[in-house]
Amino acid sequence: MVCTGCALLCDDVEIGKNDCRHACRIGDAHITSTNQIGAMVDRSPYDMDAAIERAAEILVSAEKPVFVGFGNSVTEAQATGIELAEKVGAEIKTFRTGIFDDILDGRVKTCTLPEVRDYADVIVFLGCDPMNTHPRLLSKYAYYPRGEKRQHGWETDRIAITIDLRFSHTASICKEAYTIDPHRQIEFVDALMDALSNKVPKTTYDKKRILKLAGTLKKAEFGVIFAGTSAPPRDVIVRLMDRLNESSDFRLLPLAPGYNLRSIAEQLRNRPGDDGRGGNGGGTNLQEADCILCLGFDLMNSLPAHGINGKMIVIDPSETLTSRYADVAIPCAAGGIDCAGSAVRMDGETVEIPIIRESERLSDGVILKRILEVV
Amino acid sequence: MKMEFGEFLAAPECSIMIITYPDIFRTEVGLKHGKFSREYQELSAVIVLDSGDMAKIEVNDGDLVEIKSETGVVVVRAKESEKEHQGIGYMPEGAWANVLGASPATPLASTLALSVKVGRSRQEIPAIEEVYRR
Repeated sequence: MVCTGCALLCDDVEIGKNDCRHACRIGDAHITSTNQIGAMVDRSPYDMDAAIERAAEILVSAEKPVFVGFGNSVTEAQATGIELAEKVGAEIKTFRTGIFDDILDGRVKTCTLPEVRDYADVIVFLGCDPMNTHPRLLSKYAYYPRGEKRQHGWETDRIAITIDLRFSHTASICKEAYTIDPHRQIEFVDALMDALSNKVPKTTYDKKRILKLAGTLKKAEFGVIFAGTSAPPRDVIVRLMDRLNESSDFRLLPLAPGYNLRSIAEQLRNRPGDDGRGGNGGGTNLQEADCILCLGFDLMNSLPAHGINGKMIVIDPSETLTSRYADVAIPCAAGGIDCAGSAVRMDGETVEIPIIRESERLSDGVILKRILEVV
Repeated sequence: MKMEFGEFLAAPECSIMIITYPDIFRTEVGLKHGKFSREYQELSAVIVLDSGDMAKIEVNDGDLVEIKSETGVVVVRAKESEKEHQGIGYMPEGAWANVLGASPATPLASTLALSVKVGRSRQEIPAIEEVYRR
């Protein structure tokens, strides 16, 4: 079975009658979760068909609709969501997909997760804490396993380094950890780039440590940077990657929430209206939107949601803070649990996702298609 | 109702910067027990503070603190950090941090690290559905 608890899409999970083998804490909880919602309109229980009709009515009457989320839906549902957005003139905001565009456009080098396992000798966790977000990344690919060219695994063959705003759980098991000031992230990267160019960095950070870090990075045979949500801005990462690749060989892999964020980034890339910022910015503010459709995204528990007054439509497998406040909440089957399809792993590998258990819930793709038929 | 002398005094406050972080145990509990559960609140409505900062605002491990930013106010439980990080408070990602304007979803330095004031509180921690009071 394939776990859709995060973008690693672990395919070695075995589901027993009463247990879930090989899954991490997130995967196990995700697979065994029974926390579902019923259809709601105006915060009252409603018939499913009528809720879908009500959602369509709201979308048709909206002047500035915005769709958010998409990272927790299978690729086929995302495609239907894009079609619906085009039909009703909605903007899609996926959040955190910008860095994927740099990879997809070839602006920065990347690699697959098995390549990380087989060849990576220097691994940098930049603004991310995979122990808490992608728990099996270190054991399956990035640090502990023995690979084709890394037969001694983490003990002697790999150096893992964290550069983050806090000393995270991941930092506690890495050989080097750099905790940086969030307001001085760019200063740190500039200092590191100076050190990579054999210059003494002009910085208030510990110069000796930065020179040591630059020395380690320069010696990398196959370096990998995992960039997370607290990483420096996208253009700063691209500059750092360019500088690193003048003296060594580094690849970039983004770590973002949602099991299928890379797929939506691929589908939205270079579409008409794409602002080149991967749905992160530009366009309509959520506060300006008169209708927000949340597809598998708990908006109010994920973003500062002040001043959002538009009508809210939620399509989600679970009860969330956003569904509790939504004008229309429509329950759907969860990808990889009771809904099959395909997804794109964080490294670009397409993975077919089978069903773990049958249910009577409609998939988000079917719900979006039904809305599409009536708008 | 009997009033105590301390209630007439303003609680001391201290300026700190908030940084949010992901927490696997909170994610797990949210999936298993739901986001409206007591367990989820206990792991989400928390701020990890430096012991020096806790001394400044006269709170102990487990006390309730009020956090004020330009965009919101929230009450959460203070947890004493095992490490020194004076002037920085760590909060798990989620509604209790979002209401203050702190979020990693919009990667701007202003939301990654947010300036707030923190002080002792006599209020209760708001339930997740009360955080925004839409």
